[in-house]
Amino acid sequence: MLRNPLALLSMVWFVILVVSWLRPELLATHDPFQQDVSLQRLFEGPSSDHWLGTDGLGRDHYSRVIFGAGFAFRSVFIAMTIALGVGVPIGLFAGWRGGRVDRAIIWVNDVFFSLPIILLAMAVIIILSPSLTNAMIGVGIAMSTRFVRLTRGVTLAEKEELYVDAARITGISVPRILIRYIAPNLLSSLIVQAAIISGAVILIGATLSFLGIGASLDDPDWGVMLNRARPDFRREGIWQIVPSGGALVLTVLSFNLLGDAIRDSIGRDASSNALTVTKRASVTPASTEHLTDDDIVLSVRDMDVEFPSPNGPVSAILNGVSFEVRAGETLGVVGESGSGKSMTMLSALGLTPAPGRMTRGSVRFADEDVTNLTERDWLRLRGKEIGVIFQEPIAVLNPAMKVGAQIMEPLRIHLGMGKAEARKRAAELLAEVRVPDPERRLDQYPHEFSGGMAQRVGIAMALACEPKLLIADEPSTALDVTVQGQILDLLAEIQSRRNMAIILITHDLGVIAEAADRVLVMYGGQVMETGSAEDIFFRPKHPYTKALLDTMPQNHAGDGDLAVIAGIVPQPNAWPAGCRFAPRCVHATEACVSAIPPLLTVDADHVRCVRFDEPGFDLAHGGSTAEVSA
Amino acid sequence: MAKYIGSRLLATIPLVFAVLVITFLIAVAVEANGSIATQICGEGATPECIGAIEEELGLNEPIVSRFFSWFGGVLSGDLGSSLVNQNTSVGELIGERIWPTLSIVGFSLLIGVTLGLLFGVLGAIRPGGFADRSISVGAAGVIAAPGFIIGMLLSWGIAVELGWLDPVGYVSLGESFTGWLKSITLPSIALSLPTLAIVQRQLRSSMANALQSRYVLAARARGVSRPSLISRHALPNALIPTVTVIGFRAAAAIGLTTAVEIVFGIRGMGEMLVTAIISRNVTVLQGGMIVVGLVVAAVNLLVDISYGFLNPKVRLDRD
Repeated sequence: MLRNPLALLSMVWFVILVVSWLRPELLATHDPFQQDVSLQRLFEGPSSDHWLGTDGLGRDHYSRVIFGAGFAFRSVFIAMTIALGVGVPIGLFAGWRGGRVDRAIIWVNDVFFSLPIILLAMAVIIILSPSLTNAMIGVGIAMSTRFVRLTRGVTLAEKEELYVDAARITGISVPRILIRYIAPNLLSSLIVQAAIISGAVILIGATLSFLGIGASLDDPDWGVMLNRARPDFRREGIWQIVPSGGALVLTVLSFNLLGDAIRDSIGRDASSNALTVTKRASVTPASTEHLTDDDIVLSVRDMDVEFPSPNGPVSAILNGVSFEVRAGETLGVVGESGSGKSMTMLSALGLTPAPGRMTRGSVRFADEDVTNLTERDWLRLRGKEIGVIFQEPIAVLNPAMKVGAQIMEPLRIHLGMGKAEARKRAAELLAEVRVPDPERRLDQYPHEFSGGMAQRVGIAMALACEPKLLIADEPSTALDVTVQGQILDLLAEIQSRRNMAIILITHDLGVIAEAADRVLVMYGGQVMETGSAEDIFFRPKHPYTKALLDTMPQNHAGDGDLAVIAGIVPQPNAWPAGCRFAPRCVHATEACVSAIPPLLTVDADHVRCVRFDEPGFDLAHGGSTAEVSA
Repeated sequence: MAKYIGSRLLATIPLVFAVLVITFLIAVAVEANGSIATQICGEGATPECIGAIEEELGLNEPIVSRFFSWFGGVLSGDLGSSLVNQNTSVGELIGERIWPTLSIVGFSLLIGVTLGLLFGVLGAIRPGGFADRSISVGAAGVIAAPGFIIGMLLSWGIAVELGWLDPVGYVSLGESFTGWLKSITLPSIALSLPTLAIVQRQLRSSMANALQSRYVLAARARGVSRPSLISRHALPNALIPTVTVIGFRAAAAIGLTTAVEIVFGIRGMGEMLVTAIISRNVTVLQGGMIVVGLVVAAVNLLVDISYGFLNPKVRLDRD
């Protein structure tokens, strides 16, 4: 937060304000009430005696602005004490109780929330008589509705957390749970919100004083100073409102900037998004050549993808990834979550999520080098020559758009179809992926689709333009087993009809066994092994492949417990220096941890293990490398 | 959709009723804090005068029956008469004062929402770019400046120094259209700038969220072009939270217009309310509260209807 210059300036301004509030006489040059009605001293501009000039009664602007800080702080103090003191307990109570009580409280709160704050303050002022304190009581009550909402929301969410349940079961009293478990989670949001609302309180307080129903009309309050300047500023010049207006705006701005800075230091910022196109100018070419077979559809060589990390050096998400896929072939890509499978495919299509970017390597699609393709040129390939099926079938559909319109998109963009023609074709596509009643389905929205039906929509969209290559990222993971089988069969059927290449990403080796011709095993952002499906299953060369195979239920003779690979996939910034799998590998030796093993070529296949050709290193007939979880 | 709108319309009835209850309670609280009758009769009030006023205002009746007679009056459009000038009915007073206020609030929302949406999209197109950064800095500054200060700057700069428009005054729509438009331009701009900034910020941030979503990535993978990603995919989804904020801001603008009207010497609801507070003229304040409550209810209704258009889930679930 201290690295943010604006937040720093705001803090400097606060220090000045606090000093002005606590010891105004240290900074002020004049008595803020002292009038000087000799004609020459009215409505003066800045001078050596009156640094910020004088007002209509000859009073010193600068000293009045200094004394005004006290009024601002007193306003914030009164209003925020009430707002937090009333709002937080009510919010805690409503959120904790839930149910009908909660709904009733929130309904009443929303009535007050929806009324203008100034009007609620006016109501309190007419009841209690005009004064700054009374105005701030009104503002505090109005602002408490903001804290009711915030507190209630956080409490409601936290209440469902397991650790809170555990605390309740062990008999810890409700107030203690609220203080020990809920309050810490609430605190950061409350601080951010309180900073921003404090700014609003000062703004509204000044508005009420400006209206003449806040601070007394003699007080050196910023709002009152603006009220006093109002009849004269057109005649006497805009300077009359600058000292008080400036102090007011700077103070509100400081509160807002501090609130923003606190929020940014807690949460993520929105400085980049999916449309931030990272420059690709500096992609280092691949060091190895592409294979030149005619039927290769997609070929990736030596691809590195890096992400700048917020605190520290860039981390390489992918390192030296190479593979190719041929027409009519299904390439299975396996590896645990976090091994870089999806990132590889996104990056090959120029869709690396910002702020990551490809820094080395080369990608060829059919006969074209697409490594440095511009976003505009990609448009002609994506959706037309290359179809993508994503995981999370519902999330990839636009919730505000009819499903039909989304399926029609690639047809209209790439095939230039008119609306009616595209609609007809979209219905055919839905029928092709066995969605019942396709005509009616076209006019529905994504939330009306089950996961399985949505995945079929995703497949229909990916296949709409009969692509040469289909990339299917966990196409069946979110679905139940019967639907899984149907979807895989469907893909196989379409593939054989169109001689399409498929890249099938999954962590389910059962799916690979059923559908893949060749297999790419990934771990830690690197290719660990490639080979025919048969070789991978029956003659694995890499201990990681072997470990994956051992986790398959059918390979694990025993009592039905699930086997897992010991340890977890490390984060990209914590990858070991040598072989990335070494820390979890039962075969690891000194040689494995000293340097990253190269990707060795064996016949047409590859393996990244220094020990694979050692005599007697036979994974296929070795014992299980996976441990059984209890 | 019609059914949905109908159900939303019904939902505003409890809101309006709640505002009426609050409004009634204000008068009770004012009375509890000092006799209104004594105040009306002025210094040296005779018991006869006080008695007559209390009789006339029904102050001696039990609170529940007072509520129902007041409530009945409000339903039939009778908001009572001003306590300061017994010959003026509050309904007539508001009838005079509401038009300048509605004109300024309406025009300011039109300007603020239109430009706020435009700048919000501009900022989201190239996050971190020149346009985005300039707009963000401007928005941060404008949010910190209350409308009445912006109004004073405009009144001095545009009206007094440049002489382009009149610095004060209001011309009714009935007198002259161009005169009306000219007279509400500066106050509306003053009130619209914070609206613009708030709408811009909200839309920019919800656009950023939408553009990071899986459905935008998937659309990109279908070959959908940038302009279409922004306008067809991200924007409709980003508008949903933005509409909520516009609703809040509309309510806030109704409150904040008071100070702006006073800067421009416009005799609208703002000046009426301030005068009423200073003279403890509680019937006038009540009338103002009721009108504002109705406007807020109407704004909420519009927001709900917009949800219906923007969010198919809301529309279809309730249809």
